[in-house]
Amino acid sequence: MLEIDHVTKRFGGLVAVDDVVFRIAEREIVGIFGPNGSGKTTLMNVIAGVFSATRGEVRWKGRALGGLSTDEVAACGVVKTFQNPQLFRELTVAENVRVAGHLLLKSELGAARVRTIFPSAFRTEAARKIDARVAAVLEMTRLEAQARQLAGSLSYGGEKMLGVAMALMCAPSMLLLDEPGSGLSHDELDRLSEVLRRLRGQGMTLCVIDHRVGFLGALADRAIVLYHGSKIAEGTPSQVLSQRAVIEAYLGDAHVA
Amino acid sequence: MMQLIAGQLINGIIVGSLYGIIALAVSLTSGITGVVNFALGAFMLVGAYLTWHLNETYGVAFPFAVILVMGVVALIGLVADVLLFRHTRNNLINGLIVSIGLVSVIVALVHMTWTSTPQNMQPFVTGVFTVGGVVVPKMKLLMGVVLILIVSMTYLGLTRTWMGRAAYAYAQNPEAAALMGVATGRLQVGVAAFGAALCGLAGSMYATLYSLTPDIGALYMLKGVEGALLAGIGSVIGALFGGILIGVAEGLGSVFLPLAFNDAYGLLMLVLVLLFRPAGLFGRR
Amino acid sequence: MRVLLLVLCGAVALVPALTANNLVLSVLTFTFILGILAVSFNLIYGITGQLTLFHAAAFGVGAYATHLSMAHWSISFWLGSAFAMGCVAVVSLLLGIVCFRFRLKEFYFAVVTLAFAEMIRLVVMNWHGLTNGSLGINFNLKPSVGVPGVGALVIEGPVRWYYFSLACVVVIVLAYQLVVNSWIGNAFKAIRLNEDVAASLGLNAFRYKLLSFVLGSMGASFAGGLYSHYMGFVDPHLLDINQSLAILSMALIGGTGSVAAPVVGALVVTALPHLIDLNAEWRLLIYGLILILTILLMPQGIVGSLQRLRKHA
Repeated sequence: MLEIDHVTKRFGGLVAVDDVVFRIAEREIVGIFGPNGSGKTTLMNVIAGVFSATRGEVRWKGRALGGLSTDEVAACGVVKTFQNPQLFRELTVAENVRVAGHLLLKSELGAARVRTIFPSAFRTEAARKIDARVAAVLEMTRLEAQARQLAGSLSYGGEKMLGVAMALMCAPSMLLLDEPGSGLSHDELDRLSEVLRRLRGQGMTLCVIDHRVGFLGALADRAIVLYHGSKIAEGTPSQVLSQRAVIEAYLGDAHVA
Repeated sequence: MMQLIAGQLINGIIVGSLYGIIALAVSLTSGITGVVNFALGAFMLVGAYLTWHLNETYGVAFPFAVILVMGVVALIGLVADVLLFRHTRNNLINGLIVSIGLVSVIVALVHMTWTSTPQNMQPFVTGVFTVGGVVVPKMKLLMGVVLILIVSMTYLGLTRTWMGRAAYAYAQNPEAAALMGVATGRLQVGVAAFGAALCGLAGSMYATLYSLTPDIGALYMLKGVEGALLAGIGSVIGALFGGILIGVAEGLGSVFLPLAFNDAYGLLMLVLVLLFRPAGLFGRR
Repeated sequence: MRVLLLVLCGAVALVPALTANNLVLSVLTFTFILGILAVSFNLIYGITGQLTLFHAAAFGVGAYATHLSMAHWSISFWLGSAFAMGCVAVVSLLLGIVCFRFRLKEFYFAVVTLAFAEMIRLVVMNWHGLTNGSLGINFNLKPSVGVPGVGALVIEGPVRWYYFSLACVVVIVLAYQLVVNSWIGNAFKAIRLNEDVAASLGLNAFRYKLLSFVLGSMGASFAGGLYSHYMGFVDPHLLDINQSLAILSMALIGGTGSVAAPVVGALVVTALPHLIDLNAEWRLLIYGLILILTILLMPQGIVGSLQRLRKHA
């Protein structure tokens, strides 16, 4: 379970995240809504270790994540994707996913992975397992057809899916998705929802940021809404989206924009 | 003792102003590109040798030689930027490798043309002033005047011309510059040419004060970077004073400490300052 | 392609039988030794993406440490070499920790390593008691290999040096290739391509950059020991910036994309002064031009360009 305990994040004079409190239980899909600039991505970056909280604490399974670097947080089982897909563009799709198997190899073999440097039955066995996992992840994210394509040549939707695939390869317990659906076509969005639901079915906890109400509203079990860095609502999506304050936040911003 | 200190102080200011000119070039060009262009030291080297050559072989009077050399070196800097560095704007490491290559080529050419025998130029102005027991060569005083001229003209250029204002803005705020993306082509080339011209000028001044060898470019490049670092990121005019301070530190340092290591005293001061003020003396962070 | 490689290997192995020309043997021996130097540099630069200008210092320190330990403690070449690699490992570990801890961007890493290399060169030049200063040290010690059944085989003479250095470069390249083929190599490449993504996937970039830097520098140290024993002397010029430029040139010409490609670059750079008579200034000019031209025109190097041609053919 993830606990966000009175987390505040300041950048100089700007308060990006203001005393946010909530919890994510295991096997939940929690959505974070809010108009642009409400601090959703910053909050997620604090959880993932990109920033450290100015005040407050983030705990995962009881353990405080403050002060850990991004790679250490990932090693704890909490993996984040990027809003703008960050990939290894010069490698193929399959190679991207294979490189992402770094944590998996470490957790499966530990110090014994040194033996995989030398040709042996041990190495072949380990390679087979990794390959099997790569194939499974590609199948899960519907990317098998593009396995040999260069990552840089994928469509935008493909890139986003590859980002999810790479995160999956790390065998996370919780996945943080930063606007996974933005820029996707209707079909791609459906595909993404299906993949995320399947993941939850397999025991994963998901925390998803998106400001499109239709997509995330149908997907999430619970939702919180951020506005100017503060949490202004919490509950099921339908509860939250019918609250007056939330509607004002969205409509108000639409007027300003 | 006091006379020694005063003399070293003046010497330090003089040589420091040479460092300062290069530091100014470093500050402006790194503000635009984000990294230090090591070819600036090589441009100074060329400026120095060309000035000597024009004066010695063709009898060109010093002031004309300076102007001519500044133009030639500016051209070299411009050509280098358009031909070479334009292709490495997005890849700083490649830019570093290309600039190292360029420096090697220039130093090798200088070596081949003029050999490594130290060369000396006839001083433009001879004679000394004696003030309170301190002997100051007139040439060095002239240097000081030239420096003040440079400072004023540069300040005017940076605040009155569109290119200058743009370059000044970039240099003062590199983070904002990075957010805005790569500067326009013309601005990059303009700053490259101006930076080269400044170094050419420093070289000309050097030629009339000290003796020339092919390795001075690297040394002065280092001092220029020290001066720019001392002043801090975002401080353009301050870089001039940063260079002077480095020179003064070297001069005064060699009064109390061994002369052999005098190159290190400026660096020592820089490290000490950075420990307490990581943003530099005039920098903002 | 495989056939071509086999033929090449066969040819290389048979060269001493085909020619008695000592110059050819000598050029190739230097190619192999400097090939180790270039390949170890490329592990750090081409594979992991960190431009190090410390490599000449590792090369020089390796040479001095190997010889001095052998001379003062009467140990074998292999022990001396191991000691030297240990010294270089410690120095590069410290330097790497300093650089990578401060998250130096690649550009500043290059500058800081250059500064450290210069400092070490000045120490070597001025520590007369230990290193004999700028005069260097001449010596006659040779490495020897224990061959079962024959006893200790002293490596001297062009033919023995040829095969010895060939064996060394093959072993080193294979060792590096094994590392690069493993998860460690994947980590190196990930760091080069996109360090932020690598971190988000659980990769500790600091640790792997450090590993790459230490492994590569140790290779340079071994090359230094070989080189100085082949030449019969050590002197501070081994640590010159020009040496680092030469190493960089070799990697760029040969190609930075694969483990073994820099050996081709070592061949070109070694053979060049023999094809054209060059003095020091010309050599500097040529290195400078090589750096500029390869970056701008042939960034993949010879091997990389050939591989590209093959793909398009």
